[in-house]
Amino acid sequence: MQEVVKVPQSVDERWDLIDKISRQTVEFGAYKHTLKDAIAELTVKPLTGIPVAIAVIYGFWSFFCDFAGTLFTDGFMVRLFDEHWLPWLQSVFPGGLGNPLYALMIDAGHMEDGVLVASDNCFEAFGVLTSGLFVPFGVVLWAVLAFYLIFAILEDIGYLPRLAVLVDTVLHKIGLHGYAIVPTFISLGCNVPGVTAVRPLETRKQRFMMITLLSVFVPCGAQIGIMQDLIPELMGWIFLTLVIGYLGFGFILNKIVPGKSPEIIMDVPPYQMPTFKNVMSKLWIRTSKFLLVAVPFVLLGCLIVGLMYLTGAMDWLVAVFGPLLMGWFGVPSETVAPLIAGFLRKDLAVGMIGGLMEQGIMTTFQVFTSVVLLCIYFPCLATFALMIKEENWKELLGSLASLVAMVFIYGGLIHLVGIMLGVA
Amino acid sequence: MNEMEEKFGQIYFAVLGAVALAFGIAELIASAGGGFTWGILDSSGAANPMFLSWRAIILLSVGFFYLSSVKDFAEVHQLAKAVMASIMIWIVAGMAIWSMIAGSIPGEETWFNSLEGFLASYAPPYSPEMFLLPFSLVILYYIKKEGETATE
Repeated sequence: MQEVVKVPQSVDERWDLIDKISRQTVEFGAYKHTLKDAIAELTVKPLTGIPVAIAVIYGFWSFFCDFAGTLFTDGFMVRLFDEHWLPWLQSVFPGGLGNPLYALMIDAGHMEDGVLVASDNCFEAFGVLTSGLFVPFGVVLWAVLAFYLIFAILEDIGYLPRLAVLVDTVLHKIGLHGYAIVPTFISLGCNVPGVTAVRPLETRKQRFMMITLLSVFVPCGAQIGIMQDLIPELMGWIFLTLVIGYLGFGFILNKIVPGKSPEIIMDVPPYQMPTFKNVMSKLWIRTSKFLLVAVPFVLLGCLIVGLMYLTGAMDWLVAVFGPLLMGWFGVPSETVAPLIAGFLRKDLAVGMIGGLMEQGIMTTFQVFTSVVLLCIYFPCLATFALMIKEENWKELLGSLASLVAMVFIYGGLIHLVGIMLGVA
Repeated sequence: MNEMEEKFGQIYFAVLGAVALAFGIAELIASAGGGFTWGILDSSGAANPMFLSWRAIILLSVGFFYLSSVKDFAEVHQLAKAVMASIMIWIVAGMAIWSMIAGSIPGEETWFNSLEGFLASYAPPYSPEMFLLPFSLVILYYIKKEGETATE
């Protein structure tokens, strides 16, 4: 005969009932740890987990550089676009150097000793059909593929939740939960899904902080891919600067933003073998979504910047913002153009800085400062559109105000450090 | 695993740990002094200078992991340290091999590398983790043994 169970009224009664049920249904005994359990423990304890995390990130980064940089971009794409696609377009497109339509679509050229000369690479040409196609298909696609492939594998193995546990203590110091590492990692691929991934954070304070930090201090895979191709020697310094900014401004935001940062409970699944089908379907979904967002913006960016040059609007902006950029941030006035392009696509803007660097307009430190500024000055249009959706107007204004303050404080500080070191 | 296997594992991974530690220290010094190439051992970091000190930290950790696993080696948590150290070697060495593969496919002047150029990409000198890789595979035997013990 079945036992009649009284419906529990209080919390204590509920717990008593849970105890009773578990005594009847759960078999108690000594659990012998398996090797998998022991490895899982090692990856979350700081003393052993941090070296493991260092090795995993090393593997992540090495694969990214060799896949996107050495093999595809430098190995095949640069040759395809610079030695075949660009010369072919230069020879068949009507108009020639100096023609407005030719400048917009193929090559604006650049001045050398007072003479307008044709560009010899797709970073400098800045036409819709040259840089506009080279940036997304020659560089960014491979960087994003490499990033999402490793990300999907780590996700399916079950390593990411452990990384979250590992960095929990550090992130709590800036008012965030360890889970914040997941949107941060996602943002390294693309800020748009990264911003969406902050939804599980419980309070508005945490979400506001996370969105602000992501949109300012976390460069996307496209941007990283271009940086790796153009300025690999500066990558370490750029990332160090961004990490310091992320933690430093996170700490400050935690102090000044009202609200609570409560704990959240996270599921840490056992380690498991990733399946080929799962990894490939994630890779396909994320990469195709990314391309659908990226390609139109890159093409539009090339067109708008080209039009601004042709109409003289860019010269006006350079004249207006030049003194501020040179005086406060220590970068040449020509940086205005990449900063404007950066509203649409930051990868495109880094490509423009690369073009300026190749023309000898910038010193190494100015390139470094410009790239950091580009990362932190404003989120790209797609991320900004999502911020409007995710935040109320007060939070959005707050994010923008924090952003302006961060750019001026951090950009000025970098310039100051450069002056003190004698490199600015 | 039996006593003999445990004893062998202790000695083997102690030696491997000491070697990994020595490689880590050498790479750390090399990263400060611009790197070195000694016979078939390459610690120049010519391809990716940024990675040299990073790799040094990993090899030092591998050495410590192996050495700390030696005491009571058959115990599952101790064995896990040796397994983790081996996995770290596989990550670093795997990436060194992947770097060779990625560099060997495109040619200097042509789309694809010549056969000579392709093969030359795999010629020595090699970075330290490549020498540790085959020796780290011994852990697979112990993983298998542990699996058998767990199912008994």
